Parts: sequence; structure tokens; C-alpha cells
Amino acid sequence: MKKTLIGSMLVLMLGSGTAWAADTIKIAITGPFSGGSAPMGVSMRDGAKLAIGSINAAGGVDVGGKKMKLEIIERDDEAKNERGALIAQELAAMSDLSGVIGTVNTGVVLAGDKHLQEKGIVKIITPAAGSASMTQWRDAKAKDLSIFRFAAHDGIQAAMVVEEAINRKFTKVAIIHDSTNYGVSGRNDLVDQIAKQGNKLEVVATEKFNIGDKDMTAQLLHAKSAGAQAILIWGIGPELAAVANGMAKNGMKEPLIGGWTLSMANYIDNAGKNADGTLMPQTFIEEAVTPKSKAFIDAYHKVYGVTRIPSPVSAAQGYDAVLIFAAAVKQAGSTDSKKIKEALEDLKDPVQGVIATWNKPFSKWDPADESTHEAFRREQTVMGMVKDGRVVFANEADRARLAKAEGGKKKAK
Amino acid sequence: MDTSVIIQIVVSGAFMGLVYALVAYGFQLTFATSKTINFGQGELVMLSAFFSLTLTRLGAPYWLMVPGGLLFGALLGLFVERAAVRLALEQKSEGWILLTIILGLLGFSSAENIWGRDDHPFPTPISSDPIHVVGVDITPLEISVAVGVLGIMGLIELFKRRTLLGKAFEAVSADRDAAELMGISSTRTVMLSYALSGAVAALAGILVAPITTVGPTMASALILKAFSVAVVAGLESGFGVVVVGLFLGGLENLASLYLGSGWREAPGLLLLILALALRPNGIFGKASIRKV
Repeated sequence: MKKTLIGSMLVLMLGSGTAWAADTIKIAITGPFSGGSAPMGVSMRDGAKLAIGSINAAGGVDVGGKKMKLEIIERDDEAKNERGALIAQELAAMSDLSGVIGTVNTGVVLAGDKHLQEKGIVKIITPAAGSASMTQWRDAKAKDLSIFRFAAHDGIQAAMVVEEAINRKFTKVAIIHDSTNYGVSGRNDLVDQIAKQGNKLEVVATEKFNIGDKDMTAQLLHAKSAGAQAILIWGIGPELAAVANGMAKNGMKEPLIGGWTLSMANYIDNAGKNADGTLMPQTFIEEAVTPKSKAFIDAYHKVYGVTRIPSPVSAAQGYDAVLIFAAAVKQAGSTDSKKIKEALEDLKDPVQGVIATWNKPFSKWDPADESTHEAFRREQTVMGMVKDGRVVFANEADRARLAKAEGGKKKAK
Repeated sequence: MDTSVIIQIVVSGAFMGLVYALVAYGFQLTFATSKTINFGQGELVMLSAFFSLTLTRLGAPYWLMVPGGLLFGALLGLFVERAAVRLALEQKSEGWILLTIILGLLGFSSAENIWGRDDHPFPTPISSDPIHVVGVDITPLEISVAVGVLGIMGLIELFKRRTLLGKAFEAVSADRDAAELMGISSTRTVMLSYALSGAVAALAGILVAPITTVGPTMASALILKAFSVAVVAGLESGFGVVVVGLFLGGLENLASLYLGSGWREAPGLLLLILALALRPNGIFGKASIRKV
């Protein structure tokens, strides 16, 4: 009697979504839910929870003929590498954990993922984009890998940034980046891409800044006096805002084009109207172009009581990552992480996500080619532009393409 | 590099230099009366800026937010005096050094817990669109910094020279014991100096916030530079901190233009070392006679 009482109380406390431990698929969601990277972490978590909520509402995932619900384990890594490492160790020690989704900061990925890989626990990295998160395993010549990435990595992003600058008929650009691993590798990616795309851009100035810098006048005046027609930039929110504000102050009207971090709320808010016209690659834009994306955006706004998703890219990636993970569990017919990994590497059924329809997003790990565990290709990424405090489609063609792709699928059904 | 770029960069550095000068002036005010300085002054700048931001978010207009912020700064200054300085002064100990640092740390943690670790934009009615003045881009925001800094320093200097209370302030600065014998309460005067210093810090925060955004770490670099300015100029001369502030601000930007942004802080530190070696009382300081 007493036991049932406690049991029903627990069910009440945890909400109707949670069933008995033995009947659930345990999935950990980690990321920074406080601090400077929180807009991305929180959006990713909340997007993932929407997906989990809708799966559980439909009865759960079919695992070998038995419906099982997803159970969330949440951990806040505060964007700190050492906390990330501790959390990864804790998760690696859980015997019944099926997988991990999350991590925003490339440094945290580098500090923690090795513990999960050792135990063969599936981790889907999203939305951390730094190239090193996956290339570390290629460099280590890992024979087998349980780490997957679900984010447009910096290589794709740099290619798009360079492409955009060329399309806009610029010939002289300045590269400005922060002095962290993320900024420096972004600069290298940009330089590589300029060479790869036929050296149509001349880099007239290369400047860097440190985290916490507020005054970018010197770097900007270098770029200005060298005659740069556009600024290609790699950094994170607060410093990017300082650059945009410094450009306005120095009367520079050149466009800022850079990594997806230019869509961070702390860039858009701190730069205010100076952010207008900024261009960056995005995997998801908070505009209801398809019924699927409209449903997702409406659900997010309603459930979390906001009118703007803090980081739409993170939210959509969190959502789709859960759907893909659930599809892998279903195909594996097991909650065992090793079997889920094998299923992920060879997903039979396409997964209808809010970003795209995912057709075999991953393939068998090849130690020489990390793109086998990368889900995003160029075609799932579009150019976004800041306009009046929101990110919108920069090119009408992209919006039309996405709307059409969805319409086409409908007919095919 | 053409001349207009160089002039531009020196001018925009000089405006930042004025903010260093204002914070340095806050050090001078308390040093004059009590020979103590608040090592947590940067946190006063930051907390007052956060408080003013909160006032704005609650709907207070700019003209109400500024005095509100100043009052908050003054109260914080009084709190620092009561909590960290008074007892140490009575006991003629150096405990105030550690106590003001600790209060600063406490202020930092409180800000993190109350307002979070993010940087927030600081809304201001003053435009940040540049106006072209003889070949140099200056924003009205920068002009507001100059007006605010020079205005409050002028007012305080006038107050010290023209009012009875101000004369008491000067008397305590000149000789505490003699002033006590003349019936001036040195405790009250020290309180007054801490309140003024707090208000000055608050104004620095309000002026600089639209440029740097508001966050727990907004003043950590600022305070180091203000300290350099105070030491290089000497802890007595208000005119001195303005000159040194303008100079250091311009020099910093020149260094980052020519040597790269990583070297930005170098000339300031070099100046500090030189000043300590050659003129320990500061360029504008009076040589002190230590009575034994």
C-alpha cells in the first residue's frame, strides 16, 4: 500500500511522461544552461524536450515490440571544460544509459567525449561546430567511434561564407577572428576555402581580438584603410557585437559575414540595429516556411512562453537529433548503446525532421574520413541575415527551395 | 597608414581615457581624506551600472535613472566605508586593503547571482551614430562621456573650494588631526568622501555602459587602467588624472594599431613602471614629507 502511494506520488511529481525505470530509454542532455552560451544550451535542451514529449505522448518508442518511453537526464556543464569532463565521467559510469545528446562548446566536447567513447556510449554532438570535435578522432585513428555530430561544422560554414562574399561580387575582404581555438581554426578554414574557391578574394587584412575585448577600433581601422569591402568574422556573441558596434561608430557600412554564432541572441541584442544585414550560415530559420517548421515554432513558443527562440538553430537541431536517436533505438530494437550506434551508422528509414528529411545521415565510421559521422552537408544549410532583431532568410531562393522540397515530398507520398 | 586614421584612433582612445580618469578621480577622493582607497571600486562601477539598467528596465526615464544610479553608488560607497574602512582607520591598521578587496569579490558574486553572467546592452537616448568633426568621426555618446566626466569633476572641485562642507573636506585632507582639533569630524568627512567616490564610480559606469555593455566583468580591465592613471598622475591632482587619462587612452589605441591588439596594455604598464621608478608620488603629485 505504502509502496503504491510513493509510486503514484513519484509519477505525479515527474509528470505523466515518466514510467518505471526499467521500462524507459535513458537519454542524457548536456549543455550550458547558464552563462554566456546559455541561449544555445537552453534552446537545444528545450527543442530536444519537445521531441521527447511528443514521442512519449504517442506512447514511446517501439523497442522490439515493446513501447518504451524516453527518460531525460539533464546536466548543466556551464560551458566549462572541467565540468564537462566530470559530467562525461558520471554519464560513462551509468550502466543503463542509452545515449547522450548535446554540448555547445567545442572545448567541452574535447574535454568530455573521450570518456563516453571509452565505454562505447552513443553521443550526438549538437550544436558545437568546431572542426576539432570530430577531427580529433580521425587524428587519433580511432577504429570505432560512438560519437556522432549533428551540426553544420565549421568547414561547411566557412565554404558558405566565402561563397557568399564571392556571390556579392566582393574582391577585397578582411578576416577578423577571436584568439580562441574556435576563432583561429575558423580563420584557417576561411583561408583554405578562399584558395579552394579559386582565390577570387584578396585578404587585405587579418586581425584578431581577445575574449572580453570591447574596443575593436584598431582592428577595424586596419581593415577600413586597407580597403576591405566585407568583413569575414569568426568569434562569439559579445565580441561580435563589439565589432558591429565599432563598425557603426567608425562609419563602416561593409557587411559582416561569419560563422553561425552571429545568430546568437547576445550578438543580436547587444549590437541592436548595428546587427542589421549581418550574414551567417544557419541550419534552421525561425520562419514558418513549411507546415512542419510552423508546427515546431508554434509548439516552442507555446510551451516555453516566448515569441522568439533564443537560438533557433540549436532548438531545431536538438529536436531532430532526438528524432534520429529514437529512430536508431527502434531499428536496434534495444536500449543498448552499442546496438544503437550500429543502427545510427545505417539508418534504414528516413527521419522526418524540422530541418530536413534525414536519409541515412550517418554511415560506418571511417578512420580516414570524419564526415562519415557528420550529418550535415551543404544542402541542409542556408544563409541567414539579421533583420530587426531576428534572423531571416538572406536569399529568397533558399526559402523557396525549402518550401518546395516539403511540397514535393507531400506529392511523393 | 594615413594621418586621419591616426587622429581618429587617438581621439577615440582619449574618450575612453576620460573614463579611466573619472574612476581614478574616485580613488583620489577617498585617498585625500583617509589615505585609503577602495580596491573594490570596479565592482562599484559595475553594480551601479547594473542597478541603473534595472531602473531603466522598470521604466525609469534617463533623467531619473542617472540620479538614481548616482544615489545607489553613493550608498554603496557609504557601505564600503562603514564595513571595510572605518574600523581599520580607528585601529590604525591596514586591514582596509583586504576588506575592500573582499567586499569587491562579494559584489562580483552578488552581481553574478542577481543578474547572471551575461553581458547586457545598456539603452541610452544618446545616439551612437557618428558625426563628422574636422575629419574625425565622433559619436554623441563619446561627447556625453566627456561632458559627464569633466562636469562632475568640475562640480566636486567647486564644492571643495566654495562651500563650508567642502572646506572641511580640504582641511581633513590637509591635516586630519588639526582639523579634528578645529571641531571638524573626520569620520563624517571620510564618509562624505566615500559617498562622493561611490557616486563618481556610478557615473563612470553609466557613461561607459552603452559603449562596453553591462556585465559582471565590465570593470575589471577598466579598474586596472584607472589605477595606473591614478598612480602615474599622483593621488592628489584632479587635473593630473585627466591629462594622464587622455594620454594613456590615446597611447593604448596607438599601440594596438601599430603593435597589434595583443600589445594594447603594454604602454600603460610601461608608463606605470617608469612612474614608480622615477616619480613615485606621480607626475602631478607633491613630494611627501613623512614626519617620524
